[in-house]
Amino acid sequence: MRSYFEKMTTFGHALKKGRIKSTEANLAGIKKAEDEITEAVDRVKLAGFSEEKINARGQMTVWQRLEYLVDPGTWRPLHTLFNPMNNVEETTNVIDGIGKISGKWAVIIGFDNKVMAGAWLPGQSENILRVTDLAKRLNIPLVWLVNCSGAKLTEQEKFYANRRGAGTPFFRHAELEQMGIPVLAGIYGTNPAGGGYQSISPTILFAHKDCNMAVGGIGIVSGMAPKGAFDIEAAEEIIEKAKQFKAKPPGSVNVHYDETGFFRYVFEDETGVLDRIKEYMKDMPAYAPKFFRVADPKEPAFPVDDLYRLIPLNPKRVYDFEEVLARLVDAGEHMEFRPDYGPEVYAGLCKVDGFLMACVGNRQEYLGKNYPEYADYPGMGGKLYRQGLIKLNEFVTLCGRDRVPIIWFQDSSGLDVGDAAERAELLGLAQGLVYSIQQTDVPMMLLLLRKGTASAHYLMGGPTANRHNAFTIGTVASEIYVMHGETAAVATYSRRLVKEKEAGRPLEPIVEKMNQLAEEYHEKSRPLFCAKTGMIDEIVPMRDLRTYLVAFAGAAYQNPKSICPQHHLMLPRVIRG
Amino acid sequence: MTQTILAPLDGKVFQVMVKPGDTVEEDEEILVIEAMKMETPIFAPCDGAVKEIGVKEGDDVLENDILAVIDSKSNEV
Repeated sequence: MRSYFEKMTTFGHALKKGRIKSTEANLAGIKKAEDEITEAVDRVKLAGFSEEKINARGQMTVWQRLEYLVDPGTWRPLHTLFNPMNNVEETTNVIDGIGKISGKWAVIIGFDNKVMAGAWLPGQSENILRVTDLAKRLNIPLVWLVNCSGAKLTEQEKFYANRRGAGTPFFRHAELEQMGIPVLAGIYGTNPAGGGYQSISPTILFAHKDCNMAVGGIGIVSGMAPKGAFDIEAAEEIIEKAKQFKAKPPGSVNVHYDETGFFRYVFEDETGVLDRIKEYMKDMPAYAPKFFRVADPKEPAFPVDDLYRLIPLNPKRVYDFEEVLARLVDAGEHMEFRPDYGPEVYAGLCKVDGFLMACVGNRQEYLGKNYPEYADYPGMGGKLYRQGLIKLNEFVTLCGRDRVPIIWFQDSSGLDVGDAAERAELLGLAQGLVYSIQQTDVPMMLLLLRKGTASAHYLMGGPTANRHNAFTIGTVASEIYVMHGETAAVATYSRRLVKEKEAGRPLEPIVEKMNQLAEEYHEKSRPLFCAKTGMIDEIVPMRDLRTYLVAFAGAAYQNPKSICPQHHLMLPRVIRG
Repeated sequence: MTQTILAPLDGKVFQVMVKPGDTVEEDEEILVIEAMKMETPIFAPCDGAVKEIGVKEGDDVLENDILAVIDSKSNEV
């Protein structure tokens, strides 16, 4: 298949000086917004005790452990700002991402031992479930750095129980193992109760000499016989018991290495744990990249930093999607699917790090007076029309047939609306695309370039494509809402305005409410809000976007659950004709 | 040699960034047209000087209306 993939059609253009001159403000605006995101990330990194204090106790922080474990330059953090329950700690207290260990991609997650010794916090189980889902979707190992003091008891009602509560990850670990996906765990510190199950549920346990894991810890053992109330006598009794267990916490390596043998290995040094995990990762089942690459990896044809000039921060400003794509895929080469049909969406085959990837994106430009063909009004990019939906249904289906992972680039204001659109079957075609995605069992990722709006956000491979979407990244230009805030204000208050007007009452109070609603929409669609609530898994600087595509491609092709021989691929032949 | 810039779509002139006499570079934004809730930038087709601006902010324009005329620098050379 060399004739198809070694040299594909080139696209994109180098930026000219006029464009550079015109986009200085956009570049500065994006960098300023990225600096604000960096500040928020730094607050998460600095949460809890200082690195010095943890090191003084003879421990490494979770960040130091990750740095030691992960191959340099391959760490792609996810969920850094995820904090859906608004914890005062500004974190769910697990740090995760994908990265290479000993040359192989893994999903990696660790408790932040700087914050309450790695306690369970509200929102954490949802974070962990996203991580286990990621390992499942990409079929790659899950590596844990366990250091979990158990539940933050003063807020247990927010996370202990329920369908996706703190116990659910243990079932997910079992599910991964039953699917043949290993879960490796380095165990550090004190891990009682929930921390005990965090420790025991993985596949192989690599223990540090000072760690322990137990069904219950000091707190539970000391206070496990409720008497209706506390008094001084009871307090003295608790003190005695606590001292006793502090000296010898349950479930140390003496028990779980020497006696039960639950710990496969015990190491004197923290780094010893990580070194053995690295050694095990060398032996993980994985195809060599050459097995699936269709060409030698190449850098994009144009600088990735051009994205700071090409993607407008202003969500209303039109831009050229292909110019963006040319900065993200190998060598600025592609094979476009049905270029003369459904012009509002791009669909095509590209290469990322030498791997074949399907790319789908919303074009933004004016589409001319003759499109959409079913209406008497012109079309505008960012919207989806009949032809685009048909094209995407076909493309996604063929990707499933050919087992080609899909990268969605979303920047959409929604579907065309009105009776003409209804007659053109948009509602049925849209749900048809949902059907096509659902039956296309390949890994997908979403890069939300700017807008995720209305049902188009559902259709363009986002988190709502739950089983298929490995992860969703965004930029500082990303925003997600059902509709623009001002549109929502009109929809909410237009009839009220009419009533007030007809009653002769002043309109100012309603206008004030409309402005308030529009402002709330703005606040609740911004990148930080999207990351905090999990609509976006990570806000990524423009210059790092390609690194996530490379990680996704490498991970998706590392150990795929099903394969299509390159010489059996149909999509490139359908494109070439 | 001059190059005429025509409106690519019906809409309202949202912003005019240049005035007659200004020097522009190829691909520089010189105007923005607002239509269908989106802002479409209009770029200079070549290096040169703005000879004429046919519209002002707030004007309604139709597709193929003349927006501006640029004196191409390459012709001077």
